[in-house]
Amino acid sequence: MSMKALNQLVARSIVDPSILNAFSHGEIGTVMSEMDFTADVRSSLEQLEANSWAEFATLAYRLVKAEEDAVRHVHLPSPLEGLLPGDARADEQVA
Amino acid sequence: MIPITKEERQWFLRQLALGLVEYLGVTEPPVPVEQLLRNPPPLYDDDFGVVDMFSNLWDATFARPPTQRGSIFVRMDLDPEQRRYALARELLSALITSKHGRKMGLSDLLLPNLRESAEYFASQLLAPEHLIQAFQAQGGNFETFARTFNIPIQVADHRWIEAA
Repeated sequence: MSMKALNQLVARSIVDPSILNAFSHGEIGTVMSEMDFTADVRSSLEQLEANSWAEFATLAYRLVKAEEDAVRHVHLPSPLEGLLPGDARADEQVA
Repeated sequence: MIPITKEERQWFLRQLALGLVEYLGVTEPPVPVEQLLRNPPPLYDDDFGVVDMFSNLWDATFARPPTQRGSIFVRMDLDPEQRRYALARELLSALITSKHGRKMGLSDLLLPNLRESAEYFASQLLAPEHLIQAFQAQGGNFETFARTFNIPIQVADHRWIEAA
């Protein structure tokens, strides 16, 4: 969700001067509040310190990607699932 | 400028290309790159232009005389697909050196790998992923891909594999 929003934000920035103006005036949070960033990610992005918009975009990409990788990792099933003693699926297979 | 990986640079370039494609309202190939250069977004009015030239030295090159409008000087005898690719490639230099591009900080990010960045940007601009996916969903095959997108066969080859 946040990566899609970040993609849209950076894509717009090449043709829409209001994005850069907001960034230059420390108001990029206002622009992001109108987009589909999660609250946590938006809060983290607002705290990034960058010397330019391009640098901000790069740091934002790292942050959002790390966030999404972490979520994906949490949702991945363990390779041990169904093999541990007492696990319902393991029991079914034994039976 | 912070160090940046190739993957991060390519992500950034993809978004810039997509922003331009969306600005043009392109819903099907080919992407009208020359139209973009001749009628750019208003903030690039003083930065984009196309000048046809006789030359045996290069296919296209971007130049911005001091205090004047930037232009891409392109060989007038190029095949249409080669011309489109050369214009798209040099467009990145026009963006980087534009007033807006300088404010964005594009030069720090992209100049160290300009040639590679420009070629990647051109391939993404002329064959954006969502248009390739739509083309494939409609039964388009590799044999007609290059012709439909009006891109050089080498670029088509690369983009087809990337989008797979």
